[in-house]
Amino acid sequence: MSLDFKQIVSDFKNGLWAENPIIRLVIGMCPTLAVTNTSANGLAMGLATSFVLIMSEIVISLIKKLIPANVRIPSYILIIATFVTFTDYFLKAFFPGIAASLSIFIPLIVVNCLILGRQEAFASKHSTPRAIADGIGMGLGFTWVLTLLGMIREFFGMGSMFGVQLLGEWYRPMVIMVLPAGAFITLGILVGIMNQISREGK
Amino acid sequence: MEKNSTKKLVLTLATIGIISALLLTFVYEWTTPYIQANQAEARKQAINEVLPDVAEVEEVEKNGNIFYEGYDAQGEQIGVAFQNSGGGYNGAIEIMIGVDPESDKIYKISVLNHQETPGLGARITESEFKSNFEDKPFGDYNVVKTPPSEEMQVQAIAGATISSESATRIIEDALEKINSAYGGGN
Repeated sequence: MSLDFKQIVSDFKNGLWAENPIIRLVIGMCPTLAVTNTSANGLAMGLATSFVLIMSEIVISLIKKLIPANVRIPSYILIIATFVTFTDYFLKAFFPGIAASLSIFIPLIVVNCLILGRQEAFASKHSTPRAIADGIGMGLGFTWVLTLLGMIREFFGMGSMFGVQLLGEWYRPMVIMVLPAGAFITLGILVGIMNQISREGK
Repeated sequence: MEKNSTKKLVLTLATIGIISALLLTFVYEWTTPYIQANQAEARKQAINEVLPDVAEVEEVEKNGNIFYEGYDAQGEQIGVAFQNSGGGYNGAIEIMIGVDPESDKIYKISVLNHQETPGLGARITESEFKSNFEDKPFGDYNVVKTPPSEEMQVQAIAGATISSESATRIIEDALEKINSAYGGGN
């Protein structure tokens, strides 16, 4: 098995833009809409999901030949759940602030279809180095969109960014932006802009 | 060899399950002391916040509830802190409340955990809301949307009436529990 460096780079770049999980594939919408009310939450959720994604892709690409096709989905879920539980304990022990603000959405990473989807579509068919590149690319692609969403929503909804107050007392916060409806509106506009950009690029 | 025999399927899943459980056991053992320390630290900070000049805290169980009795440097009891929780707008809210059971007076409250909407209900953690209860008597509180004109009125956070109501109910409930344990005058 030879390592094709170009292939690895393209696997990595794939997740950042061309097949970005949120704005291109539109998967993993539950955390995307639910926890992007502040920049810090978006970033933390993106990193936690990336960790689980990369680790699961490594393990599954390593043992893919040992798993019978009939039980591959439950096997993937078991492996994903292991890493999610690990992340949950880890955050609670060392980053209690983040764990408290993301609360239930950390265990829910198990059912993020981005993670299961990449195992089925990529890790179970490709070599480990390519799976790692895909995991990092997809993870970063997920993280930057989540962080951007969080920044936009926090800015308009609270007048701050990463908890730093930017707008003064004169600004009347658009409360809807930190509520669930604001997530749909922001995401819709963002996907529209991204589509326009990639269309013009062609 | 039969590749997908039932035996093989069961064996595969069982193996993965056992390895996962084993790994998580280690992770659990490793993180639990930190998690407990974090919770204890958060509780300690909350008690220090709601009982003024507290030097020593003693855990006392009464009526199946745990109360934290606070003493000052001279060993005088200054008050009781109690942690109560209840439903909020998005999830449970946990509030530490510090009182003086002698004079039936609230010292301060502190919000330990909550899942309220950031920018709205989450403002129950800010001093503007918490000051509604500072140095107030025991009893039933009314949540109002205008600046309070009476002592037993609590000004709701704009856009977060449910969170304000929930926090107030949790505090009232805590006061009742403290009252029945320490037999206040009311």
